[in-house]
Amino acid sequence: MKIVDDREHNSAARVATALRAIGNVQLIVALTLLPSILLAWWDRDDTAQYFIESFLIMVGLGGALIFMTRGRRAELRLRDGFLITSAVWLIAAALTPLPLILGPPYLSIADAFFEVVSGLTTTGATTIIGIDQLPRSVLFYRQSLHFLGGMGIVVLAVAILPTLRIGGSQLTKGETSGPIKDSKLTPRIQQTAAALWLIYCGLNALCALAYWLAGMSWFDAVTHAFATIATGGFANYDASMAAFDSPLIETIAMVFMLLGGTNFALHFLAWNRGSFTVYGQDPEFRTYLSIVVVCTLIVTFGIYLHSIYGSFGEHLRHSAFHVVSMFTSTGFTTTGFAQWPGFVPAFIMLITFLGACAGSTAGGLKTIRAMIIAKLAWRELMRVIHPRGQFVVKVGNQVISESIIAAVAGFVTVFVGSYVVLSLAVAATGVDIVTAFSIVASCMNNVGPALGVATATVHDLNDLAVWFCSFAMLLGRLEVFTVLVLLMPAFWRD
Amino acid sequence: MRGGPILRAIGNVQLLSSLLVLPSLTLSLYERDGATFAFTQSFLILLGVGLALYLPTRRANSELRLRDGFLVTSSVWLITSLVLAIPLVLAPPHLSYVQALFEVVSGLTTTGSTVIIGLDHLPRSVLLYRALLQFYGGLGIVVLAVAILPSLRVGGLQLTKGEITGPIKDNKLTPRIRDTAAALWMIYVGLNVACILAYWACGMSFFDALCHGFTTVATSGFSNYDASLGHFDNGVIEVVAIIFMLLGSASFALHFVAWRRGSASVYAADGEFRTLIRIALCLSLVVALELWIRGVYQGFGENFRHAAFQVVSGLTTTGYTTTGFSSWPGMAPALIVLAAFVGGCAGSTAGGIKVIRVQIVAKLAMRELLRLVHPHGRFPVKMNRGMVGDEVINTVAAFVTVFFASMVVSGLAIAATGVDLFTAFAAAASCITNLGPGLGGVALNFRELNDAALLIASLTMLIGRLEVFTVLVLLTPAFWRG
Repeated sequence: MKIVDDREHNSAARVATALRAIGNVQLIVALTLLPSILLAWWDRDDTAQYFIESFLIMVGLGGALIFMTRGRRAELRLRDGFLITSAVWLIAAALTPLPLILGPPYLSIADAFFEVVSGLTTTGATTIIGIDQLPRSVLFYRQSLHFLGGMGIVVLAVAILPTLRIGGSQLTKGETSGPIKDSKLTPRIQQTAAALWLIYCGLNALCALAYWLAGMSWFDAVTHAFATIATGGFANYDASMAAFDSPLIETIAMVFMLLGGTNFALHFLAWNRGSFTVYGQDPEFRTYLSIVVVCTLIVTFGIYLHSIYGSFGEHLRHSAFHVVSMFTSTGFTTTGFAQWPGFVPAFIMLITFLGACAGSTAGGLKTIRAMIIAKLAWRELMRVIHPRGQFVVKVGNQVISESIIAAVAGFVTVFVGSYVVLSLAVAATGVDIVTAFSIVASCMNNVGPALGVATATVHDLNDLAVWFCSFAMLLGRLEVFTVLVLLMPAFWRD
Repeated sequence: MRGGPILRAIGNVQLLSSLLVLPSLTLSLYERDGATFAFTQSFLILLGVGLALYLPTRRANSELRLRDGFLVTSSVWLITSLVLAIPLVLAPPHLSYVQALFEVVSGLTTTGSTVIIGLDHLPRSVLLYRALLQFYGGLGIVVLAVAILPSLRVGGLQLTKGEITGPIKDNKLTPRIRDTAAALWMIYVGLNVACILAYWACGMSFFDALCHGFTTVATSGFSNYDASLGHFDNGVIEVVAIIFMLLGSASFALHFVAWRRGSASVYAADGEFRTLIRIALCLSLVVALELWIRGVYQGFGENFRHAAFQVVSGLTTTGYTTTGFSSWPGMAPALIVLAAFVGGCAGSTAGGIKVIRVQIVAKLAMRELLRLVHPHGRFPVKMNRGMVGDEVINTVAAFVTVFFASMVVSGLAIAATGVDLFTAFAAAASCITNLGPGLGGVALNFRELNDAALLIASLTMLIGRLEVFTVLVLLTPAFWRG
C-alpha cells in the first residue's frame, strides 16, 4: 500500500516539476518582450501597450505555474523529457503570437501562430508582406524569437536529444556531456547549458559586430545576427539580404551561418582547448564543408550554363550564398533561387534535407545521419559483390553498430514518411502539388523559402495549410520522434 | 569475368527475342496493313543479331557464377531493348530511334509509358507487337524476381525466396533458374489466358482482350487506345482488370504454392499479400472520400469506382487510366503516384519498392519509437512469424534509400535537360517505379520530352526494374576487380 502511495506521490511531484519547468520557460520567453517594449517607448510607435499586455499575460501565467508548484520537487526521468520538450515548445508558441495579433501587423491567429513558430524553430518563413514598413519594436520582437529559439535548440540538440537517443543521436554526444550514468535529466542540462549559451551569445556578438563593421546600422546588425547564428532567416526587409546588396555582408553571413550550422559541442571543445584543430579532426564537420563546396560548384555550373548574371563571379556569389543559406537551413536570400532554370531550384530544396551538423541550430536530417545512410548504401553494394565479406560502417575511426544504423534508418524513414503525409495533407487543402511538397520540405527542415506560390512568403496559403505548416516546423525541430512518441499508447502506460 | 558463358546467355535471349516479331508479321500478312515489309526486315535483322551473338559462343561452358548474374541480367535487358526497338522505327508509327527505344524499354520493363499519340489508328500488327513486348517483359521479370534476384541477395530479397527455391548450396546460377522457370511460366501463361477469356466474356473484342490481357497480368499498362481502359467505359471490365492487376502483383511464388496445393488459402495466410490488399482498400477509401467531398463525380459509388481503379492501377504499377486522374484536385494525383512507390509484392511483375520492404521499414520505424519509450527493451522486427535481423533490416533500409536517391538523381537529370521540375520529378517517379503515366507534362504520354530526357527516363525504368543494385553494382570498381 505504502509503495503505491509513494509512487503516486512521486508521479504527482514529477508533473509539478514538469509544470514548473514550463512556467520557468514562460518567464524567460516573457523577458524577450522587454527590449521591444523599450524600443516601442523610445520610438514612440504606439505598439508599447500591446507588448505590455502580452508581457503581463505571460508573466501572470508563468508566475502562476511556478507558484502553484512551489515546494514540490522531484527528479525528472529520461522519459519525461519527451513530454516536457514538446510541451515547452508548444506552450511558448501558444502565447508569443499575442503581440502580433493585438498590434501591427494585426495577423490572424493562424498566421501569427505560424510566424512565431517559424521564429522559435528558427525556420524563417513568414506570412507578412511589407516587413519594411513594420515598427522597429515588432521587427526586433521577430528577431528575438530567433535568438531565443536558437538558444533552446542548442540545449535541445546538444544536451537533451542525445540523452533521449533519438535517431542514433547518442553518437553526437561528444565530450560536453559525459556518459549517461543514470536516467536523471536535470543536472546534465544545467551543466552544459551555461557553457553553450555563453558560446552562443559570443557568436551572436561577433556576428553583430562584423555586420556593423561591414556597414549595417546597429539595429540591422544585431537583429540579423540573431537570425544568422540561429540559422533562422527572418530579415527586416521583404527583399531579405538583397536589401544590402553587399558581397562583404553576404560573406560575413555565410561564415556565421556555417558556424551556426556547426555542432556546438565542437565549438565548446575548441573554446575549451583554445585550438581550432578540433574542427579539422571532426569527420562530420569535414563532410559538412565538402557538401557545401560540391553543391556550390554544381549550382554555379547549373546556372552559369544559362548565364543569368553578368560574370562567372556573380554566378558563384549567388550560388554559394544560396547553397550555404539553404543547406544550413537559414533561408536568407539575395536574388531568390526559385526562378533559376533547370534542376537547380529542386536541387537546392533537396539539400535542405541533408541538413547541417547535429548539435547545431540547423534543421534537416543532419549531416551525420546522411553520412551513415550513405555509407550503409555503399556497404550494401559491396556486400552484393562479396556476399561473404565483412564490411562495417565507420565514421572517422568509430565503427557504427548495426543497431545504431537501424536507429538512424528508422529516423530517416519516419522523417521522410511524416514529410510525405504532411505534404499530402497540405495538398488536400487545395494547395498545388509543387507548393505543397516544397513548403512542407522547407518547414520540416526549418529552412524558410520554398517554391511555387510560397517562394518568399506563405501569405497566399489557406489557414488550414498554414496550421499544417506550423505543425511541420515543430515536428522537424523536435526531431519528429519527440512528438510522435507522445502519440503512442505505450508512452502513457507506465 | 568470363566472357563466353555471358555472351552465350545474351545470344540465347536475343534468338528468343527475334521470335517476338513473328506474330505481328503473320497478322500483318493476314491483314495486308502495309507493315509486312517492315516486320520482315526487322525479323531478319533481329535474327541476324541473335545468331551473331549465339553462334560463336554456343559451345561455351554454360555454367554461370552467381556474380555473373549482375552483368548478364543488366546486359540482357539493355541489349534486348536496343534490338527490339528496330521494328517501331521501320514500321508505323515510324518513331525516331530514341523514341522507339523508350517505347520498347517501357514495354519490356512493364512500365507502360508511351510516346505514341494516336494509338487508335495504328495497324493491329503494331499494337500486338507492343502488347507482346509487355508479355515478354513480364515473363522475364517473373524469372528475375523469383529465381535470380533473391539469389543475388539484392535488397534483402533473400527473405522472399519462399518454398520453390531451396537454400543456396553453391554459387551456380543456371540449374536453379531452369528448375523454377518452367513452372513459373506455366502459371504466368495460365493467368494471361484466364484474364484474356474474362475480358473477352465482358465484351471486349478478341484482339483487345488478347492485348489487354497481356498488359494486365504483366502489370504494365499499354493499351490499344489513347484513352486507355477509359475507352471501354465498362464497370465490369474495370473489375476484371482490378482483379488481374492484383493477381499480377502477388508473388508468383505464392501462385506456385497455391497451384501445387490446389488451395487458395495460402494467399490469405501470406502477410505480404494481405498487406497489399489492405493498402489498396485504405487508399481507395481515402481517394474516394476526397473525390466525393469535392464532388468530382456524381454519387459516392461513381467516385469509389474511379478511385479504386486508379489506386489499384497505381499501386500495382500498371498505369491504366479510366479518367485523367492527374487532373483530379487536391492530393489524389500525388497520392496515386506515391502509391506506386509501395508497388506490389516481391516476386511479382509489379515495380516499386515492394510491399515486404515497406513493411519491414515501417516496422523498423515503429520499433525505434518503442525503443525510445523503453530504452532497455528488446523489440525484434517480425515478418510472417520469423524474426528479421538488424543486418537484413539495414539492407532493406539501404535499398529504400538508394531507390529514392536514384529517383531524385533521375528527376534532377531530366530537369537539367530543360523539362519543368514538376514534370521531371513525376516522370522520374513514374519510370523508377515502372508505373507508366505521370503528372504534369507526362500525365498521358511522354511525347513532349526531348531525346536526352527520354534516354534518362529509359535508363531509369531499367534501373527500377532491375532493383537498382543490379545496375549500380556494375558501376563500382570492386565489381570488375577479381
